[in-house]
Amino acid sequence: MVDEVFVYALSTCPWCRKTKQWFDDSKIAYESVDVDQLPDDEQDAAADKAYELSGGRRFPVVVINGEVIVGFSPDKFLEHLKGWGGGA
Amino acid sequence: MSSEARKESLKYLYERVVTPLGFKFTPDEQMVDDLLEAEVKLEQDLGAPYCPCQGRSGVRAEDMQIVCPCIPFHRAHFDAMKRCWCGLFVHLDVTDPDSLPQLPPDEV
Repeated sequence: MVDEVFVYALSTCPWCRKTKQWFDDSKIAYESVDVDQLPDDEQDAAADKAYELSGGRRFPVVVINGEVIVGFSPDKFLEHLKGWGGGA
Repeated sequence: MSSEARKESLKYLYERVVTPLGFKFTPDEQMVDDLLEAEVKLEQDLGAPYCPCQGRSGVRAEDMQIVCPCIPFHRAHFDAMKRCWCGLFVHLDVTDPDSLPQLPPDEV
């Protein structure tokens, strides 16, 4: 079962790095973007998308199979990963 | 001023601001170093030591609320987590910062 995971991150945020490391260590494929490392013309759109999804400006913002999790929270990640027995 | 010197000066300043608020630096010294390093870079690039884990809106009044230490602007949220969002500061009685969850305000 394939999970769709996307991580919105900031390059300055250690919890964003921890989040990506957790997915790496768990051997779960994911896509990610360091919003602040994007070219100027793409940065606002990516940041606005993360803010819209999360309802705030806090990072990391993790989207797992359409569910949004704000913050480094492995327990919540597992809840929403179908391949790990979570998900709807 | 070098980055190392600026980190030390921010540390000196922050300690005096956060202690009366009931917070201290996280006991995780590597985390303190990483976060202060990021703040110094943000200050050099953007003019203020913004929280390394929060995004800016471009609206000055909003962005000033995430300049470190931003505890006074998020007091109820941070008190509920016993840490600030990026984890640079924790409540004075915290000895195990890894046990503290990072939760958005609507979940605390």
